[in-house]
Amino acid sequence: MSAVAAWARRYGALIRNAWLIDLQYRASILLWVLWGVTEPAIALGIWWAIAGAGDVDGYARADFARYFFAMMLVNQLTIAWDSWYLDGWIRNGELNFRLARPLHPAHEATADNIAYKARSGTIIVLVWLIVAALWPAVRLPFDPARWALTAVAVLFAAGLRFLISFTTGLLAFWTTRATAIMELHAGIAMFLAGRIAPLALLPPPIAHLASVLWFRPMLAFPVEVLTGAVTGSSALLQGFVAQAFWLAVWYGACRLAWRRGLLRYGAVGG
Amino acid sequence: MTVRRLRWPAILASLVRLNAVEELQYRANFIASVLATAFWIASALLTLALFFRHTTRLGGWDYWEVVVLLGVFNALTGVIEAVLRPGIGQLADDVKSGALDLVLMRPADAQLFVSFRRLDLWRVTDIVLGLALSGYALFRLGHVPTIWQSAAFLVAFAAAALVVYAIWVALMSLAFWFVAVENIAVLFDAVYEGARYPVSAYPGALRFVFVYLLPIAWATTVPASALTGRVSPLIGLGAAAVGAAAFLLARLLWRTALKRYTGASG
Repeated sequence: MSAVAAWARRYGALIRNAWLIDLQYRASILLWVLWGVTEPAIALGIWWAIAGAGDVDGYARADFARYFFAMMLVNQLTIAWDSWYLDGWIRNGELNFRLARPLHPAHEATADNIAYKARSGTIIVLVWLIVAALWPAVRLPFDPARWALTAVAVLFAAGLRFLISFTTGLLAFWTTRATAIMELHAGIAMFLAGRIAPLALLPPPIAHLASVLWFRPMLAFPVEVLTGAVTGSSALLQGFVAQAFWLAVWYGACRLAWRRGLLRYGAVGG
Repeated sequence: MTVRRLRWPAILASLVRLNAVEELQYRANFIASVLATAFWIASALLTLALFFRHTTRLGGWDYWEVVVLLGVFNALTGVIEAVLRPGIGQLADDVKSGALDLVLMRPADAQLFVSFRRLDLWRVTDIVLGLALSGYALFRLGHVPTIWQSAAFLVAFAAAALVVYAIWVALMSLAFWFVAVENIAVLFDAVYEGARYPVSAYPGALRFVFVYLLPIAWATTVPASALTGRVSPLIGLGAAAVGAAAFLLARLLWRTALKRYTGASG
């Protein structure tokens, strides 16, 4: 059997398994989606009120509406909880049986992400379609090329956030505060990844910092591609190059943390 | 043999003492808690600063008024994290696992015990830092609250805590009917975000949601308004009535829900 077919079979089994596990927790997934929706909805509400007095740096009310709806969707499609899972696996020794499998645990985590995002992303798309039917402000122009570019940017961003979350979770090999570090990162990302406001509205030095670091590539960039805020091939190319660069950096960090961490790992009861 | 039912002040005092002894073993958590609170306050202030770069008022409130509210939000968060989440927040799991049996066997009021059995005392720093932030914002406003305004604030804050408590009891009680609701607290977290800003800041549909449908925003707006003198201290009377009603509802709901409990082997 060819290598591709073998991997397809493995991932098929892993995703099916993850999907069935999620199926038992349908209500929980709905709750997490709701939680992911309120924060951008509140930010949108505040900006909507502020923009009532006139455009904010070129952003009119409808622009904010489209931006935060795109943010809800892209955030849901790229969010990664792996830091919490890994922290638990390492501290409770649930990593042991995963190490005994002939497959790196990152593949199980990737399959979990695919299953989860297929479900939660579908919910957001449905909600968006319903809202768009009633509220023209959040409708996007029909533009398959842009949607294709968005799909690529979302894929890169999802990979990046997965690696960040996985690597941070691996810190549990050294500290009991790995999830606190992840929350700190999430707090910083509130601003730098564009969850409170489009990066264009931040003070220029901070917006610059966000695009130099991995924060714009991990969330704001795909949102901007979807809403059409990024135009021109050079700006698009720059964004994708930044995504690829940080993806490579975090991949390296993840490999390093995994190798070093395993050497330190003395499992519970091990 | 009769089992003497303990009085509630004695139970409360010993629970606080037990938890203090436990928490004092983990002093590093205190530093971590203070740092985390400082970080979240700083990030909330930066968010406000970002909004106020582009406006001078939020729902008719100026910057320092919203900071007073932010302090109240932080203090209320402290109450939730120190008392509600570790206590009543575990109820759904206890119902599912049957661990509630161990609570019901005790010669104490079960609701009281469930609500205060576990206290995350270090999170009291959130209350202290939140109130300090409100105090500083009042200073920047140049407003010294009168005795009546301060009293109205304390009553309104206590009432807000009771309302939030009643919401937790309601959410957790769902476990008595639908056993698997382990993540139900997320629902609260999602809605609670709405209390960050004054009710008047929300436009249209959101105002309907946070003001009427899930009136969580009042929990911070009313105490903050009482403190800054935006509303008359008489609001304290209304708040006390709402708080008392919330407490009675929580009590009633608890009793109704408990009748459905069949225990671990039931």
